[in-house]
Amino acid sequence: MEELTYNEKRLMVVLNTVSEAEPAVIAGELNTTEEAVVQFAHLCADKGIATLERTVRVDYGLTDEGKQYSTLGLPERQVYASFEGEIPMKDLQAHPLARIAVGWMKKKGWIAIEKGMVKKTGDAPEGDDERALRDPAAGGDGINELIRRGLIEERESVSYRIAITPQGKQLVADGLDLREEVGALTREQIISGAWKDLNLRRYSVGKLPKKVWPGKVHPYQHLIDEMRQILLEMGFEEMQGSIIQSSFWNFDALFQPQDHPAREMQDTFFLAEEADLPDGWEAVRDVHEHGGTTSSAGWGGVWNQDKARQNVLRTHTTGLSIQHLTKNPEPPVKAFCIGRVYRREAIDPTHTPEFEQLEGIVMDDGVSFRHLMGFLKEFYARMGFENVRFRPGYFPYTEPSVEPEVWVDGLGWVELGGAGIFREEVTAPWGISTPVLAWGLGVSRVAMLRMGLSDLRQLYRSDIDWIKEYPAYTGGRN
Amino acid sequence: MPIIHLPYTYLEELTGTDRDTIIERLPMIGADIERFEDNQTDVEFFPDRPDLFSTEGVARAMRGFLGIETGCPAYTVKPSGVTFSIDPKLEGIRPFLGSAVIRNVSLNNERIETLMGLQEALHWAVGRGRGKVAIGVHDMDTVTAPFSYIASPRDRSFIPLDFEEEMTLDEIMQRHPKGIDYAHIVDGFDLMPLIADAKDNVLSFPPIINGELTTVTEDTKNILLDCTGTDERAVMTAVNIICTALAEAGATIESVEVNGAPMPSLAPRTRRVSVDECVRLLGIDLDAGTMAALLAKMRIGADPAGEGFLDVTIPCYRADIMHDWDVFEDVAIAYGFDNFNAELPASFTIGSEHPVNVMAGAVRRIVAGLGFVEMMPFTLTSERVLFGNMQREPAKGALRVMHPISEEQTTVRTDILPLLMETLQINHHRELPQRIFATGDVVEGRETFQKIAAVSIHTDADFSEIYATADALLRELGLAYTVEESTDPAFIDGRRGDIIVDGKKVGVFGEISPAVILNFELDQPVAALELDLRVLWT
Repeated sequence: MEELTYNEKRLMVVLNTVSEAEPAVIAGELNTTEEAVVQFAHLCADKGIATLERTVRVDYGLTDEGKQYSTLGLPERQVYASFEGEIPMKDLQAHPLARIAVGWMKKKGWIAIEKGMVKKTGDAPEGDDERALRDPAAGGDGINELIRRGLIEERESVSYRIAITPQGKQLVADGLDLREEVGALTREQIISGAWKDLNLRRYSVGKLPKKVWPGKVHPYQHLIDEMRQILLEMGFEEMQGSIIQSSFWNFDALFQPQDHPAREMQDTFFLAEEADLPDGWEAVRDVHEHGGTTSSAGWGGVWNQDKARQNVLRTHTTGLSIQHLTKNPEPPVKAFCIGRVYRREAIDPTHTPEFEQLEGIVMDDGVSFRHLMGFLKEFYARMGFENVRFRPGYFPYTEPSVEPEVWVDGLGWVELGGAGIFREEVTAPWGISTPVLAWGLGVSRVAMLRMGLSDLRQLYRSDIDWIKEYPAYTGGRN
Repeated sequence: MPIIHLPYTYLEELTGTDRDTIIERLPMIGADIERFEDNQTDVEFFPDRPDLFSTEGVARAMRGFLGIETGCPAYTVKPSGVTFSIDPKLEGIRPFLGSAVIRNVSLNNERIETLMGLQEALHWAVGRGRGKVAIGVHDMDTVTAPFSYIASPRDRSFIPLDFEEEMTLDEIMQRHPKGIDYAHIVDGFDLMPLIADAKDNVLSFPPIINGELTTVTEDTKNILLDCTGTDERAVMTAVNIICTALAEAGATIESVEVNGAPMPSLAPRTRRVSVDECVRLLGIDLDAGTMAALLAKMRIGADPAGEGFLDVTIPCYRADIMHDWDVFEDVAIAYGFDNFNAELPASFTIGSEHPVNVMAGAVRRIVAGLGFVEMMPFTLTSERVLFGNMQREPAKGALRVMHPISEEQTTVRTDILPLLMETLQINHHRELPQRIFATGDVVEGRETFQKIAAVSIHTDADFSEIYATADALLRELGLAYTVEESTDPAFIDGRRGDIIVDGKKVGVFGEISPAVILNFELDQPVAALELDLRVLWT
């Protein structure tokens, strides 16, 4: 049995002597209120050491208005007594209770009104209502009428009887610690050593606390940081760059043909401002037009400088990768970036015009398609996706290309990102002859899988309650 | 991407094996299976492989992949004697024409649908919505050679497909459904491209609509193909893909003389590739013989060319192969992606965080530690949210996108605070107090940089609370600062402060103006701060 509180123990001691009593009696003994006694008795009853019997009684009592009339009589009686025979209505109305009384006198048939004269009709015997008013406790037929008139009200009175059970008797017989309970521990008690003899009030552990909410990092940011952590552990250097990019870096440098549908205004957010072309742009032009120095045939046609100058909100972070390589041309280079990218899409549960993309590149002597698969497997395994398979893919800037798929229980094989080796048309214009492995991943897709989201908008237009409830630690990676 | 329908019976007949065997291996050549129907399966292929946009093309690839028939397919082309002339005035309008005669086709409704499906998929993938290439197929027995591709006045008339009366070219562009869809491609020119026969019958008004006269039906035996466009290579790609697909279906291909030059040849291209380069790229052990055998499965011919080289023969329909590595990817696909021994390389590198994210992490820890919950709002927003609702003048460097998709996303954010106000609006019905923050990129002019903003909304949110928060943030960031009275109209006069570091304003805090609170449809006091994190880089 749960330990008794100090007050429960005191109640049990009293009950042990009286066996059975009303709360008022016990309240006197314990020097507390009847309500408190009932509360202690409830707790003791829950433990089976006492019983609490509740009786509800209804009786009638006079309201304040009723009390006024109980000695002087109902308004109609008072007014009836104030005149003899007949009286002009106008004189009668001088009586302070006339407004209430006239109606009742008429209703009871005590008077008749003719041509402005009020005439008594005969005797006015005492009614049930008047008898009930004299003695409400006796009840009677007049009570309901008086309740309707607001002169008498129903009053519930609850009474309790508290008794000790045999278990209770046994408990007291076994002895109780009757030291007084202390709520808060004080500095003095700690220092003086008094704490050793204190009977600190026990708390019920079954009662839940009031909720407090910590400040916290967004659950989606946790996921992003988890991915960053994985790549940092795998020896990747983090890249960061502007969300405004020229078409040159966003498309042309990645060998995306100038008439590619992604470069149309339906798919990409263009900005009015134009960018300058970087040194070395001519080699990019050449590779587009005829393959430049590579074995490529190029896209043919005439490469248009103006189209390359148009600024866009970056449609991927791959433009950062190639810029990073032009600044760091010596292998090995392992770099990654997680950043917002933009596509001209209307907002719905599975599309947002901006979302996060993860991008990783490895430039190193001797790395091959096999190693790309190795990186992908390692990364996905660390993300908790143990089962990975590879299918042919297509991206304008990689060859060979691969689409990794991960196994998700309940969903089957889920395509998660794309990868490949940067085409020679991408690297050769910058004099890079070391192979560059590259892969990208839609981070919000992973968020949907990992957080069980059905609506992407929750990430960017968050319900604060969702964030408050979402645990900061979810077991992390496997 | 276009959906390609693969009817099981036809696919089995062309491939020479059962549907289960085909479907099991189909994803490994790059097909994305969309769904299974009773009679067919629907798949998607990548846009670089338009040769797989027909049942015939898929069957051709699968025969190789499954080892039923390997190597570069050979197509014979006989001269048809048909000639075609091109009007020089088309230079600058739509100069290129590809053509072929396809004899002895056996068509039924299903085959006609397949052919139309291929045509539409090619319009999308190769033709860039018909601008670059448009394709027409005609019942050749309804017209008379020789044919001419001419630049015609716009008042010329003929009966377009699906109509019963003659219409002028102008009328077609204005009234015909296809005219409405595609007029924009040629509308800027005085003269229109037109294909006519020896008797001046109109076959086609490319890239818009064919004539009713040459409609292909189940009774059609011989087809005249026209592909017109602005890019010669793309035009020939379309011709090659259609001709070889119909040849796979049993038809005979005959060449047409266009301005005296016969086409198509359907001959493969050749390329000399290095076995060693392929081995290095893929990371698998291969000799020339194995590599040749793998390429044969991909329907690419390969002959030893001495000293570690192969001469590869690439079918004319493989327009995607423009570089040696494209050939090597086919080696990898034939080898099987699941057969690669995926491994990490041995080299050693050290990872490092970008300083911007080191900073962002610190900011998050500090502000979350002060009891604020992080939000990650959009960076694309509207001038109404950024400036109008905030009672602020538009920032000079604010970037507007040229073709916004909605009124809500027109401008890249220059501040984060307005987005947090909007987030409070979204959470209007949620319990107070709410304390939220966000940090991330903002853009002004050409510069992308970072800011942090925090807001607190509850009945007692006030200047003192947010001053204390700003003070703690700046202290934890190691910044010595002073505060001056601010004039920021988003805040209440006398309850706002500018944060000054090294004599420069780097942030603002205070109680948000009730007018701003109402603009965001809120009704409780809001205290807020925003700090430009460039202050940490100086």
